[in-house]
Amino acid sequence: MNIYQPYLMSIKEITDETVDTRTFRLEFKDPEVAEKFTFNAGQFGEYSVFGEGESTFCIASPSTRKGYIECSFKASGKVTRALRRLSVGDTLGFRGPYGNNFPLDNVMKGHNMLFIAGGIGLAPVRSVIWTCLDQRDQFKDVTIVYGARSVGDLVYKRELEEWGKRSDINLCLSVDPGGETPDWKGKIARIPTAVEESGVKAEDTFAVICGPPIMIKFTLPVLTKLGFPADHIYTTLENRMKCGLGKCGRCNIGPTYVCKDGPVFTAAQIRALPQEF
Amino acid sequence: MTQRFLSHADLTALVAELVAAKTRVIAPVRAKDDPEQLDYSPIQKLEEATFGTRLPRRSMKEFFLPVTEVLLRYQQTKEGVEIKATPTEAPPIVIFSATPCDASGLDVVDKVMSWDYQDELWFGRRKAATVVSFLCTAMDAVCFCTAVGLGPDSIQGSDVLLVPVEGGYLANVITPKGEALLKGKGKAEVPAGAEASAAAAQGEARKKVEANLPKIPAEFASWLAKNFDHPLWKTISLRCHGCGACASVCPTCHCFDIVDEHDSSTEGARRRNWDSCQTSKFTLHASGHNPRGSQNERFRQRIQHKFSIYPTKFGEILCTGCGRCARTCPGGMDLPTIIGELMTLAKTQPEGSSL
Repeated sequence: MNIYQPYLMSIKEITDETVDTRTFRLEFKDPEVAEKFTFNAGQFGEYSVFGEGESTFCIASPSTRKGYIECSFKASGKVTRALRRLSVGDTLGFRGPYGNNFPLDNVMKGHNMLFIAGGIGLAPVRSVIWTCLDQRDQFKDVTIVYGARSVGDLVYKRELEEWGKRSDINLCLSVDPGGETPDWKGKIARIPTAVEESGVKAEDTFAVICGPPIMIKFTLPVLTKLGFPADHIYTTLENRMKCGLGKCGRCNIGPTYVCKDGPVFTAAQIRALPQEF
Repeated sequence: MTQRFLSHADLTALVAELVAAKTRVIAPVRAKDDPEQLDYSPIQKLEEATFGTRLPRRSMKEFFLPVTEVLLRYQQTKEGVEIKATPTEAPPIVIFSATPCDASGLDVVDKVMSWDYQDELWFGRRKAATVVSFLCTAMDAVCFCTAVGLGPDSIQGSDVLLVPVEGGYLANVITPKGEALLKGKGKAEVPAGAEASAAAAQGEARKKVEANLPKIPAEFASWLAKNFDHPLWKTISLRCHGCGACASVCPTCHCFDIVDEHDSSTEGARRRNWDSCQTSKFTLHASGHNPRGSQNERFRQRIQHKFSIYPTKFGEILCTGCGRCARTCPGGMDLPTIIGELMTLAKTQPEGSSL
């Protein structure tokens, strides 16, 4: 087996999150691999449709649950469109887990957590959220600020409902002005405003943020204003990748390889990167 | 390192012996489409090869990282998909009369191929190959191997380095692989004066290249990193067409693409193909966003990767100074001249631009 050879996985469940975003639950075909496979929240993989190619995205399920992984994708390129044509029972390829992870165990445990996500950016954050919720007693306050352009663009709706019902989570849902429906009960604001008005305190808190670059750009100053030090803010970067192994040469931002040094970075680390991403 | 003396007849016999044992022997051969040019090609006997007259037009990396190679084959079945892995062992191959710049390129690329994850396909071929290089005396105005710390007699990446002397060749045996290749071949006793005349030839060859470009100082890498936003990047690549020809002739460019190609509706292959950071789609996201959207940014990546990122990460410049990119570029982008200008800039603006 060479490093470019994927594991075979079969699709167990398909959930349509939005009009164009879909979640697969995948299980390894080889029981030995299924038994041995572990990963950490924040890591990514190369998912492939045979005959179409490979595509890079995060593992969206929590690392605390074994035997399966989940991924969420938007049909936007050749491979993601091919993934969309697959049905339950079909086979796909998976290489991974690759990259670093959110330091839940060694940095974040014992502190408050603030999760911020926009649109499909919730996918990697969801992995961290559930990993954290599966060991809820190890963390202090948990706040989730999640928003999308419109109500129809919110992903993992059933889980949002579940989080909203839990008393040990402070959930703040928000849609951009104009994206609300008549029965929308959440906030109508863009993410930076929603974060500012969430009442979250920076003290003893780690923030995990993921979403479109424009959202991150305008939310970081808000976090700074609230008092978050740059090394308490974690995000995950995406760049086009092929190998995921530090060899094919396309995901680097200056000297930093997103596939190996990342994809998880602190805001402090990102500030030090050349502005080429 | 030991030395042996081989006559031309010894070399001829060695090639014949290897070919008889079904070992693939590669050497510079006159190109069929252009007899002025040389290509690394398979030979059956030594006479087919052309030694040391000029640099082959492409490097020999294709024997280690093929232009296209199958990573796996797949077949859709009723039960799902079956994968047939590509074997990682490669058949034995001897590269004869490689230029030292090409041989050292292999050693340089080894670093990225073993960084954490071992690329078994690359190392399978590396293990199976013995590289016999030849003192280079065919340098021209765009050669700059000495500037990157190598030289026309550099032994990096070679198993044997041959230096022509009176009556034959002085063979510098560098590795156990080289020892195995030359065991019992020629003479262990080197004729009197051979060593001195080899040293003289090597010195003369070095001097010729050294005149082209001074040695790149160690601090050049950090100067480049500091000057990622220097205004020079905005004009430096105006002549670049973004064709990627430089990468395809380069002995150290190793970037690749992975694509699936189907032979029928149920089977096909996943392939690794050469790719280049100079093409516009290299970093293009599916969303349409491109982190390196202009040719200036792409050329900056090429220079930064070769002369700053790679040396900082792996301690080696990702360039062997072969000059092929400069000879090949349709836009006349001349790397040694560009590096020379950057080195001057680094001297005159050690802290970078104030703009």
